[in-house]
Amino acid sequence: MFEITYDIVVLALGITAVLAALGVILCASPIYCALYLISNMICFALLFLLYHAEFIAAVQIIVYAGAVMILFLFIIALLGGKKEIIEPSVERSAAFSFVFLLFGELLLAAGVGPTRPIEGQLTPDVISAMGSAKAVGIELFSRHLISFELASTLLLVATVGIICLAKFSYSPARRRSQ
Amino acid sequence: MWDEILTFLDPVLQPAFIIGTVKAAVIAVALLSVVPIIVWTERRLMGRFQVRLGPNRVGPLGLGQPLADTIKLLFKESIIQSSADKFLYHLAPAVVVFTAIVTFSVIPFGDSVTVFGQEIGFWGANVNSGILFVFAISGMGIYGMVLAGLASNNKYSLMGGLRSSAQMISYELTLGLSALSVIVMTGSLNLIDLVENQKDIPFILTQPLAFLLFFVAGVAETNRAPFDLPEAEQELVAGFHTEYTGMKFAMFMMGEYVNMVTMSSLVTLLFLGGWNSYGLPLWPILAFAGKVFALLCFFIWLRSTFPRLRYDRLMSFGWKVLLPLCLFNLLVTSVFKVMW
Repeated sequence: MFEITYDIVVLALGITAVLAALGVILCASPIYCALYLISNMICFALLFLLYHAEFIAAVQIIVYAGAVMILFLFIIALLGGKKEIIEPSVERSAAFSFVFLLFGELLLAAGVGPTRPIEGQLTPDVISAMGSAKAVGIELFSRHLISFELASTLLLVATVGIICLAKFSYSPARRRSQ
Repeated sequence: MWDEILTFLDPVLQPAFIIGTVKAAVIAVALLSVVPIIVWTERRLMGRFQVRLGPNRVGPLGLGQPLADTIKLLFKESIIQSSADKFLYHLAPAVVVFTAIVTFSVIPFGDSVTVFGQEIGFWGANVNSGILFVFAISGMGIYGMVLAGLASNNKYSLMGGLRSSAQMISYELTLGLSALSVIVMTGSLNLIDLVENQKDIPFILTQPLAFLLFFVAGVAETNRAPFDLPEAEQELVAGFHTEYTGMKFAMFMMGEYVNMVTMSSLVTLLFLGGWNSYGLPLWPILAFAGKVFALLCFFIWLRSTFPRLRYDRLMSFGWKVLLPLCLFNLLVTSVFKVMW
């Protein structure tokens, strides 16, 4: 019975973390975005706690939820966090359709049948024979390939987004509204 | 059938769970009821320091004064500014009080005793990296002040919130690094282990500089005078809680005083030997409470002695004086630890 309770708690925390992450990108007010990010980090710290990694949980809260996010809030307070006014536009709908296209592609990729199984086990002996960096690489590009590629795409999207926001003088809808 | 459904209560009805619940309730209630006593002590002591009487009308020695104040605060109208962000405005004081109480849950204040075959320790939880937990949760307390400043939509509140976040981040470094030199000496993050290590001599004798730095940073972390810049009356009306009235204002005050108790307890655990009484015939818990009370009185003494720092001096003091001293102390301690 206790295991089921444990699983339910882990699942609930995971769902909360995902919802908080969605809140970060969907919320209009920067203060609330920052708060959603903080709650996301706290959820991760609690997950670490549930996996008996006390030290990482404490460090997660001290470094990310404590030090980094307080600076975010500090900047928001200095610049005056105003709510964005979201207007429908051609670029916006184009961007949305692109995102949905990518999602569809991802779903299609997930629908592909079983891939070639990974051969061999990474026991300590094998790892010491080939070095830990190589072992990490093999593990990353075989078992965790999809999550690895998703993370790299996320970083790429974030980079492009920041360049768009910072570089181009023709500003997106939110600057024009002021 | 009912037996099967009720099996989900099995983990709940274990003795460890019941003991934990009772402990949590006792600690929270004790902590909150100690606040009026500290307020009374502070007002009486401040009166003596300033050569006046202090509150002495309500009840014997003015002991009824905190009670009267509480009733007044409870019945005051709660005014919410119309342009304030309602949700954050209500959230902020709750965050402050919540973090202040949760921080205390890992503070041990005595050895364990055996009652009815159950070993009961005088602590809420014996966390392995207890001191990290304290820093983590007390760091979250800053959000209460920043959110209060942001949500009130008042320039004084905003300035107070900004100041408190900048100040607490700066002094948290000193706090952590000076605690680190003690941790290096003992090699443990567990608060109970730290106290056990001070059985013979308290760390204040072997680490006087770390004690001094930790205490100064602690006063700054709790926003007490002379580091009470976030609520400097003369410049900022009342800082981040300018717009708060009634019980919400009282919650900020509660948070501040509970933080004072936590900080005093932490200094006692890290540097004054915790519940070790060093030959004096005292119960461990009384030795601990006595040290904490002495430190609280010292906090009040500081408040009535020193004028408030100027803001830029506060910052340069934290970054240019305390932090290098801390690093130096840590370096020397580590060298000694490695050499011997």
